[in-house]
Amino acid sequence: MATLLQTIVSGVLTGSLYAMIAVGLTIVFGVMRIINMAHGDMVMLGMFGAYWGYALWHLDPFVSALLWVPLMFVFGMGVQRLLLRKIIPSGELNTLLYTAGLSLLIANLALFFWTGDYRTINLAYALTPPRPFGIAIPVPAAIAFGIAIVVTAALYLFLSRTDTGRAIRATAQNADSAALMGVDVGRVDMITFGLGTALAGAAGVLLAPSLYLYPTVGEILVVKCFVIVVLGGLGSVPGAIAGGVLLGLVESLGAVYVSVAYKDTIGFVLFLLVLLFRPSGLFGVGRS
Amino acid sequence: MTKPILAAAGIGILLAVPLVTSNPFYQHLVIMVLFWTLLGAAWNLLGGFAGQVSFGHATFLGVGAYTTMLLYLKLGWSPWLGLILGGVIGAVVALPIGLICFRLRGPYFSLATLAVAEIIRLVALNWESLTAGPTGLLITHLPALNWFGLPVNWESKLPFYYIAVALALLAMGATWFVSRSRLGAYLLAIREDMDSAEAAGIDTTRTKVIALAISAFIAGLAGGFYGLYFRYIDPDAVFSISMSVEMVFIAVVGGIATTAGPIVGAVFLVTIAELFRERFQVGHLIFYGLLMMIVIRYMPEGIWGRVRSWLPGANARS
Amino acid sequence: MTLLRVAHLTKDFGGLRAVSDLSFDLAEGELLGLIGPNGAGKTTAFNLMAGSIAPSAGTVELSGENIVGLRPHAVVRRGIARTFQIVKPFRKLAVLENVALAAFLHEPNRARAEANAARILETVNLNGKHGSLASDLTLGEQKRLEIARALATRPKLLFLDEPMGGLNPAEIDHACELVMRIRDGGVTVILIEHHMKAIMRIADRVIVLHHGVKIADAAPQEIVRHPDVIKAYLGERGV
Repeated sequence: MATLLQTIVSGVLTGSLYAMIAVGLTIVFGVMRIINMAHGDMVMLGMFGAYWGYALWHLDPFVSALLWVPLMFVFGMGVQRLLLRKIIPSGELNTLLYTAGLSLLIANLALFFWTGDYRTINLAYALTPPRPFGIAIPVPAAIAFGIAIVVTAALYLFLSRTDTGRAIRATAQNADSAALMGVDVGRVDMITFGLGTALAGAAGVLLAPSLYLYPTVGEILVVKCFVIVVLGGLGSVPGAIAGGVLLGLVESLGAVYVSVAYKDTIGFVLFLLVLLFRPSGLFGVGRS
Repeated sequence: MTKPILAAAGIGILLAVPLVTSNPFYQHLVIMVLFWTLLGAAWNLLGGFAGQVSFGHATFLGVGAYTTMLLYLKLGWSPWLGLILGGVIGAVVALPIGLICFRLRGPYFSLATLAVAEIIRLVALNWESLTAGPTGLLITHLPALNWFGLPVNWESKLPFYYIAVALALLAMGATWFVSRSRLGAYLLAIREDMDSAEAAGIDTTRTKVIALAISAFIAGLAGGFYGLYFRYIDPDAVFSISMSVEMVFIAVVGGIATTAGPIVGAVFLVTIAELFRERFQVGHLIFYGLLMMIVIRYMPEGIWGRVRSWLPGANARS
Repeated sequence: MTLLRVAHLTKDFGGLRAVSDLSFDLAEGELLGLIGPNGAGKTTAFNLMAGSIAPSAGTVELSGENIVGLRPHAVVRRGIARTFQIVKPFRKLAVLENVALAAFLHEPNRARAEANAARILETVNLNGKHGSLASDLTLGEQKRLEIARALATRPKLLFLDEPMGGLNPAEIDHACELVMRIRDGGVTVILIEHHMKAIMRIADRVIVLHHGVKIADAAPQEIVRHPDVIKAYLGERGV
């Protein structure tokens, strides 16, 4: 029983960060109908930002988020405005291929400059996890979880209460109608991509103290992200959150109760099943 | 005028290379160009002509490689028979994969192929009794073979060179043949608009599956070749996403839906990789990514596609 | 001779019943008009009959054979061709290629398929345009191209979905003549159209759909006087 609870807790903690990454991808899809293959590399940049902040300036990663997240937001806007905007009109597949190229570029630049050595951030307060009710809860994971919840709530408020947020939701529903209503769709696209990138970067910073860091981590992350976003329904923010937590749980439970080796496989099989039989996601809220 | 002469010249050059250089390093480079041409041509049939962008083609490469290696190492079958069977098994495996993935369109199809490839990689990694898992498979010694009475020296690169030439010519020939056939016309129609293709009476599923089977066959052959040439394979070498993505790049940078595109792409990419390796050891993938972005932005028809449009007779296919 | 028999054809999209219990017979050589206010279910009916979507209930028999459940290309092979309300040519392919692709269905040899295609292009008056890209044609030309593509599959029955939409009066006249020529050439036609004058001029018979239900099935002259039809188009007060 204790193992089950522990597994569930670990799954939810990891899942919350997965959720954040997935929300970033899904809002970009919802508004621009593009699948960003470089999204995982944005997470990686956040991770390394936290690492270098820690290694060079002794910044606590959670503090360095205040620096890196706005930077990632601007970076994302730049990528959309300067690079993607010209590519998107030439079609979904071209955009997919283009972002695949971008992903390769970013990951390998990182690999070139920072080498493939695994890095870790060893925080003093992370050494001994507290054990409420006998369940180990690593401090960084708990802080990350807390921040993830705050960020998600903030995003929800932003999307539902602010004008820009409403503009984003309108564009996601129907870009042409939104434009006719006076929404600057180009600006919305840019902000959304910036937001998606910032979320990815933030997740990277939050994950950094808990994982081994290496430049090509984006590859596996982006694949998991697709799984989540499809499970939750492409374009749906609540779906991405639910999907992220679900994947975290599936992996955690799968590792303990099925096999460590095949835990990733379970996610992919689920992914294929959903794509085939419920393309609008497990909860039926996604766009096809 | 230009096409058949270019082709003949190209073949002539290919056959003459070993006469010009006996430096194993250059021979290796040309073999690599031919190997990537094979993979690019394989991907191109499905991704270029039919517009079904697969990010999981390494699956067929890996299946071919493991088939060839396992048949030789575990059953003692001739590796050359194994090579062909590698292609056949690749095509066989492609059928269920196609039937699953072709129910999806556009980017969803691409993501599904990625998922399938990852599943197969993980299975290969973990099913150790079959594949020896991460340890991989190693050939220490290839069987003696006589070619028209002369014993073949497997330590030299030359036999592999000629095998690679033969396979590349086979792949390019198949592409050329398809591009001129009704199948090729149907593939281009499917790429343009699948609903209209159905309305024109085209059985889009069957057509896509045929293209995939040929594509997987060629990729499987390439996999078998890879195993015999490098003599060592493991799941991360032959089933990796990077492998799949590099196949896409070769075809896209070289020229989607053209016969010569893959070889142009392969020359480009292998040259860049080698230049980089000499000076910087790593980082050639940076240029792959950059080139990909530049091509999609300014030359979506690929390098050969652009060059071809400058040649006289610009409307001719191939 | 009954060519097409539609019986109790129904389609539900979630809670919305787009087509409800549609039944009618179509004889060889008839030119049937299918009309109704926007959203009446006309294109859905076409999609059901052509195999693009599966019905929730009902059967469609072509020459006695039930074609429900067949994929679109299989329906084409059995002899039903269709055009789309919003034209879908193969945009980046040449005009001749657009039609040759369909001609390939019955003629695997490229040279002969292209010759057949050329002949059909002549009947729809697109002679000089063989090498042009489909995307370079005007709307009227694209509509004729799509008809040509449909004809190249040698259909027994042709579904035309608003072929006159967006055309000017002169083009509409030509389109009417073309449709009649097609019917006179031995192809049975079902025509969805909003252009009442065109329907009046060329249709032998008209079926009216409203909210997915067939509310009238008669000759054109009777349809325009039919109280239910008038109510459907103009509302209660218009009667």
